[in-house]
Amino acid sequence: MQSIRSLDDFQTLQKRLKVDTAKNLPVIVIPASTCAQASGANEIIRVAKREILQRNLSEKVGLRITGCHGFCQMEPNVLIEPRGTFYPKVGMKQMARIVEAVGKGEVLEEYLYRDAKTGRRIELARDIPFFARQVRFLLGQNEKVDPIRIYNYIANGGYAALARLLGEGRPADVIEEVKKSGLRGRGGAGFPTGLKWEALARQDGRRGKVLVCNADEGDPGAYMDRAVLEGNPHAIIEGMLLGAFATGAEEGVVYVRAEYPLAIKHLIIALDQARKLGLLGKNILGSSLSFDIDLVKGAGAFVCGEETALMRSIEGKMGEPRQRPPFPVERGIEGKPTAINNVETWANVPLIINLGAEEFARVGTKNSKGTKIFSLVGKISNTGLVEVPMGMTIKEIVHEIGGGPENSVPIKAVQTGGPSGGCIPATHFDLRIDYDSLAEAGSIMGSGGMIVMDEHTCMVDVAKYFMNFLQDESCGKCYVCRKGTQRMSEILDDITSGRGTMEQLQTLEELAQVVKDASMCGLGQTASNPVLSTLRYFREEYEAHIRDRRCPAGVCRDLITFTINENCNGCGACKLACPEKAISGKKKEPHFIDMKKCIKCGMCRSVCKFDAVDVR
Amino acid sequence: MLVAKPMSVDVSKIVRSHEGKRGKLISLLQDIQSRYNYLPREALEVVAEQTGIPLVDIYGVATFYRSFSLTPRGSHLVSVCLGTACHVRGGREVAEELERQLQIKPGQTTTDNEFTLETVNCLGACALGPIVVLDGRYFSKVSPARVKQIIKSARAGKEEHTADGHVFPVKVSCPRCNHSLMDFSHQIDGHSSVRMTMAFGGKHGWLRLSSLYGSFNLESEYDIPLDTVVNLFCPHCHAELISANVCPLCGAPMVPMLVIGGGMVQICARRGCKEHRLDLNGVNV
Amino acid sequence: MINLTINGLSVSVEEGTTILEAAQQLGFPIPTLCHMEGLTPYGACRLCVVEIGEGPRAKLVSSCTYPAQEGLKVRTASQRVLRARKMILQLMLASCPQSKTVQDLASKFGGIQGHPFRQEYEDCLLCGLCVRMCKEQMMSGAIGFRGRGKDRSIGTPFDIRSDICRTCGGCMYVCPACQLRCTYNEPEKAVCGGCQNLPPPCMEKFDDMSCYMDPCVACEICKE
Repeated sequence: MQSIRSLDDFQTLQKRLKVDTAKNLPVIVIPASTCAQASGANEIIRVAKREILQRNLSEKVGLRITGCHGFCQMEPNVLIEPRGTFYPKVGMKQMARIVEAVGKGEVLEEYLYRDAKTGRRIELARDIPFFARQVRFLLGQNEKVDPIRIYNYIANGGYAALARLLGEGRPADVIEEVKKSGLRGRGGAGFPTGLKWEALARQDGRRGKVLVCNADEGDPGAYMDRAVLEGNPHAIIEGMLLGAFATGAEEGVVYVRAEYPLAIKHLIIALDQARKLGLLGKNILGSSLSFDIDLVKGAGAFVCGEETALMRSIEGKMGEPRQRPPFPVERGIEGKPTAINNVETWANVPLIINLGAEEFARVGTKNSKGTKIFSLVGKISNTGLVEVPMGMTIKEIVHEIGGGPENSVPIKAVQTGGPSGGCIPATHFDLRIDYDSLAEAGSIMGSGGMIVMDEHTCMVDVAKYFMNFLQDESCGKCYVCRKGTQRMSEILDDITSGRGTMEQLQTLEELAQVVKDASMCGLGQTASNPVLSTLRYFREEYEAHIRDRRCPAGVCRDLITFTINENCNGCGACKLACPEKAISGKKKEPHFIDMKKCIKCGMCRSVCKFDAVDVR
Repeated sequence: MLVAKPMSVDVSKIVRSHEGKRGKLISLLQDIQSRYNYLPREALEVVAEQTGIPLVDIYGVATFYRSFSLTPRGSHLVSVCLGTACHVRGGREVAEELERQLQIKPGQTTTDNEFTLETVNCLGACALGPIVVLDGRYFSKVSPARVKQIIKSARAGKEEHTADGHVFPVKVSCPRCNHSLMDFSHQIDGHSSVRMTMAFGGKHGWLRLSSLYGSFNLESEYDIPLDTVVNLFCPHCHAELISANVCPLCGAPMVPMLVIGGGMVQICARRGCKEHRLDLNGVNV
Repeated sequence: MINLTINGLSVSVEEGTTILEAAQQLGFPIPTLCHMEGLTPYGACRLCVVEIGEGPRAKLVSSCTYPAQEGLKVRTASQRVLRARKMILQLMLASCPQSKTVQDLASKFGGIQGHPFRQEYEDCLLCGLCVRMCKEQMMSGAIGFRGRGKDRSIGTPFDIRSDICRTCGGCMYVCPACQLRCTYNEPEKAVCGGCQNLPPPCMEKFDDMSCYMDPCVACEICKE
């Protein structure tokens, strides 16, 4: 790979790569993100390679390994370009046949996606309801780009925004453009990115300025940052380069959580390639811009997603947040002015420069522009990543894109914003999602986790889950946050085990308010949201636990019983699986659970193939 | 098995490799942990001595972050995800079944030092929950009933390689002289092997690799110690097989070979590193 | 100079002054626990919270760490502040009832009758006074924070006697939880003399060598 020293050389390379792409071969696109690999993508990739080699198709059929396309429910899936044929849940045998069919230019009808509602087979990805309603600014690029090949990114228009600005742009114009686009931080709080950059640009740069990409995606249930990191790392690098051009920063840091090994690997490759090509380092493309990016791996701490804790962690210390002001823009890493943006925010920047601020701002609501990727997970039939324009209603996302409930159990609520967010009940599904509407509803946008909960999810248990999470993940410095989460968890534990009182409910509410008020950092200030929002919308569930000693969803163990119903045909699977030997019964006769021995572990229900175990 | 050299020599080497780097303490501890599988007290004391960072701060960092362990861990690491999406789909039940099967609590190691169990707050594969990761391998949609089998697969140990659906033989040639590297007289994994010459630490001899794509079996004239980076040469034109790329996992050079039928395979030159890549023609753009 | 108003009164302070210092200049009492002159402000106990800003943007901040800013409007005893302080004191009483400092703070606040939580007897509030004392005043750095969240604690690395501890006793001197022992050699200040009957909770962590009482008062704790 030869280093590019001037803008002219870059344009020559761009042209050459575009000619190569225009060969118009059919390309087999296989996503191989962490989730796809967990579903067996590696095996089908190897089969595809084997078939291409054995059938001597390597000059006739292309193969592209990409990041996540979003439809995780259907993984491993295969997309055939340029037609757009979509094959879901591809196994090794199917893969071999697909390669053969692509070689002949055929479509395999029997492997196509079948729409659950109509039962019809749908060939093209864009016609599948899951994709049809999305606006895939970012995720769409994941289909086009092989993340470990920088030429692939450039051939798809990558680094063009950078080259254009280096040629004729002025830093102030870039900031103006980002401000005009209305881009707000995608990490959760929604601070206008342009304003942050403007503040950084104004700082005295003698000691250096730092840009940070916050890739410590700690919200359980959110993984859109992982998808972008794994699938399109150069978009983040280009975004940061544009930020460096605008603000005068010369140092960059990407802080990635250690739980994402594939994202780290792809970033290392991408940074290395960008450096070799002369897109990072001194005098980029022969201009006066100098910028380089370090990769720092996290070590497992949710609180490090908070910006001041993140900075301390980058400095190699314990991730304890500190008082703001001074804000990172005034005094950040090693005392240098620092601007911290989330992965998705950075990835949006090249898009804004390429599309133009006005075009970008056409999508979205008055105060929230562009698209947002949500991870639609939990009790929903189409789980995956969905990218929608700001302002789409929850109903559209859950029922039209998500395809509604996973089984016949009705959906009760969605949880957004992770441990800092809240639950929104199904009665409020007409809510148009943006930063402000979610905050009004008692939740937050957060990084974009959207966990769907049905009637079999206990909201008190959900609140308890988050409090347990937070009492481990709080750094422990602020007394109210450390003790408050611990005490809230204790009270919720009492309630879910049937020991709760109405007075405790009152205490819980008061305590939640104080933790929210008196904590120092974002973690503590939002820690109460899961409790407060479930109390707001699902108080009757709390009261059922306390007054009636009953868990309406059938989740809280101390308040439920396992019984075997008439569906039981006496296969004995549950008897064998029960760790406490609490199940008895003769072969081919209905079995029986001994309540005294039962520890309610749920093994019997997990192994039963006849739906014969009831939980009440 | 672990400590051939005195720990202080080894740790000093790691400390030196991090000099002047950002956030060096955390990445340094990460390297020490991947070397010893945990953070030994002696190692932390060496770090304190050599970096001048007070031991109390090092200990603070080592206990603050979840991924560090101050006690030795088992040969297999089982992580169960307890993220929200996994939780609502029954991740807790899976975790409890793992506890019962292994008879340990999260954070503990079995008495035979085989398994360490840990819980993770989110692995970011939320669509496929509940997730269990065993030694880096992801198991999706795990039910409590499947736990036994997962543990069994780890106990079974070494994977056997035979050519089947996704493990298949490739024929390779030298990227410089295009002479075939295949050795039809000598088989590994039941298929012709790939022969080249190697050099490391003053030793020079032959090396044969399995030609199965997906197998890491090899034979060589001299035993190659783990972590050694070897230089490989074409036995015909004697050119060194080395590519411009470095391994993204360990930083060692990659070794390129042409695939007969169109394409290029690259493997990492470090013994024990499994990084490899097979690119077919027409793939790139 | 920076001009701000505290409870409606204007005050001018030098740049870098904290809200707490500014309030003290005006004579407004703000309770503190983890704050001590001569040690870096830490903001951990949250007792010193005050309300700043107006309308929906009003928020609570710890006055010991928050710098005075031009035009800032501070309320040191608003309803919201008092509600938070009361809850914090109740949380402290629920976990560390034996601390004379916490008892005094609670009685000074007034109107606190018990607390609604399960009673615990912890020997540490994690206020970090000892850690800062050891590092900043005694130039030692023998003890520090370990772990995080509910498992956070203070002690020496690996819980073994530190080579750099000079057993100066500074940590115990500033401790708000075990100070009964520390005031023992001034009988008029000791409240209940409980330390004569109970081994101080910190004993397990700082063995007998770190007793700072000299001359020996023959409390016999070190012989246990």
